[in-house]
Amino acid sequence: MRMIETKNVQLYYGDFHALKDISMQIESNTVTALIGPSGCGKSTYLRLFNRMNDLIDNVRIEGDVLVEGRDIYGKGLGMRIDELRKKVGMVFQKPNPFPKSIFENVAYGLRVNGIKNKDYIEERVETSLKQSALWNEVKDKLNKSAFELSGGQQQRLCIARALANEPSVLLMDEPASALDPISTAKIEELIYELKEKYTIIIVTHNMQQAGRVSDKTAFFYLGELIEYDTTPHIFTNPTDSRTQAYVTGRFG
Amino acid sequence: MKRAYRQFTERFIEGLLALSGTVTSLTVLLIVVFLFNEGLSLFGTSPLENKTALVVNESNPVQKLSAVSIKDIFDQKITNWKEVGGKDEDILIITVNDIGNYYSEEQIGAEFEHLPDCFSRLVDSLPNALAVINESYRTSYFKGHTIDVNKNNLPDFLSGKEWFPTAEPAVQLGVLPLILGTLMVSLLAILLALPIGLATAIYMAEIADERIRKVLKPVIELLAGIPSVVYGFFGLITIVPFIHDVFDLPVGETALAGSLVLAIMALPTIITVSEDAIRNTPRSMREASLALGANKWQTIQKVVLPYSMSGISAAAILGIGRAIGETMAVLMVTGNAAVMPKSILQPVRTIPATIAAELGEAPNGGVHYKALFALGCILFIITLIINIWVERISAKRKFKK
Repeated sequence: MRMIETKNVQLYYGDFHALKDISMQIESNTVTALIGPSGCGKSTYLRLFNRMNDLIDNVRIEGDVLVEGRDIYGKGLGMRIDELRKKVGMVFQKPNPFPKSIFENVAYGLRVNGIKNKDYIEERVETSLKQSALWNEVKDKLNKSAFELSGGQQQRLCIARALANEPSVLLMDEPASALDPISTAKIEELIYELKEKYTIIIVTHNMQQAGRVSDKTAFFYLGELIEYDTTPHIFTNPTDSRTQAYVTGRFG
Repeated sequence: MKRAYRQFTERFIEGLLALSGTVTSLTVLLIVVFLFNEGLSLFGTSPLENKTALVVNESNPVQKLSAVSIKDIFDQKITNWKEVGGKDEDILIITVNDIGNYYSEEQIGAEFEHLPDCFSRLVDSLPNALAVINESYRTSYFKGHTIDVNKNNLPDFLSGKEWFPTAEPAVQLGVLPLILGTLMVSLLAILLALPIGLATAIYMAEIADERIRKVLKPVIELLAGIPSVVYGFFGLITIVPFIHDVFDLPVGETALAGSLVLAIMALPTIITVSEDAIRNTPRSMREASLALGANKWQTIQKVVLPYSMSGISAAAILGIGRAIGETMAVLMVTGNAAVMPKSILQPVRTIPATIAAELGEAPNGGVHYKALFALGCILFIITLIINIWVERISAKRKFKK
């Protein structure tokens, strides 16, 4: 099933042309890695899917972005922004738990979406924490501040927070770049498991990570989508010479 | 050579910086020591006027009186010795002014040289007399005994309900009405200013676009630069008549008027500090909230405000600090009646206003003068307590929540 599709997307920050004519399809229950040097537009592209770019002034977007076949930027029959953000969860580069308890962090998405049923919230919190492999570490201190957790635990909490909304898509913007190698390995393992239920798009600077976790890889360069193919193909037999240069570490 | 010079300059600058730090700390210490030294010297002094003594008949069993009962006797609220632990006799007050009723001018003497003698005989002959005399009259010939007056002490000072530092013969130094007046005016001011200030801060940090902010911000900062006397005038000609008319009061100078003026004065501090705190909420926090489907208002309410709570508390402390210490504007609009405050529609008097109004008329080094310094100490302690208290609250929120 086709989860996400972009058709001829152009994005401008003021006069700066940040995404140039990008068309791409992402299948459900796959992990797609977006790679490329800094400033190539991969994070901007990722943030199209939950309309995070809307927060920046002077952004102009052309073209179509479809999630589950529905236009998310179009007016009229398109998807409402709160509905979209429930469907498309996001994990950020640095762990950013709220100044609340562990429980309230995970319950946040449910509460802001108007869910009041206590039993349901408790059940969702537990399930989400289990899915993000954090439950055993925090089940005895759910009322403690989220700031008491380690960096790796905080990031898994942020994943649990995104999962509590039962999204279909999980966007990850360099989710392990601020973590130590052991925490990174845990996050990668988690991504592998979450693929069963979710469509995952991950931005990463780490070539090995992209190779380990993703099914498909897209290489961005200067706002253009240079190459998009299965991960083994991108890493062993790229078509474009710029892709080859980047994945072998000759620039970037 | 050049290196040695550079090293010397670095050391010199370091030394200079360390020196400024030390000088500042020492100055603070010096002020506190000075304040408490003057203020605490009040306790142990006599509430009686300089060189005054109270004497009674030898047979009178009353040995001791408090400052409050002395005042009540002279105000004729206490008229019988029984009420202060003596015999069932009316109290007869005799002062220098009354002595002419008992003795002729010849008997007193042209130079008042026989005055002590007259007092002695009078007190000896009247068992119910209470005479106010100069201490120097009390020689070994004097018939009658001196009344001990309780010295000024901290419990009476704090719990006394009457502030009348110029009363004769015994001054009344009860600061309770002043403390309550100060707290009432300041807390009410913060209650009024905090919601408005916070709302403005949220508006400026989250909602207003850059153009509006560019106009609003300097205007609010200008509000902080207006001298307090001007606020006082403003209060006097607008707020005071307004309260007078709206509540149909005999006078408009009330606690409420003071609170309103103080609220306006505390606004710029509250707005600026809490706006900074709100702006300092990391962008990633807002993004995380929005990405979970929260709308802008939910994000402000559930993430931004809890995150900036310590900054907002700081804004509140600074506002209270400003309100408690403010002198001139409050002096001008609160009516300055040193009575126990019963409602916000009555005149009250605050501690700073008392100090400012009375220091000029208090003789240097006298009881009144020292009492004003003791008031300064109380003001200092109140501010200190509020600071520590809110500091702890904000620290708690930061770690627990």
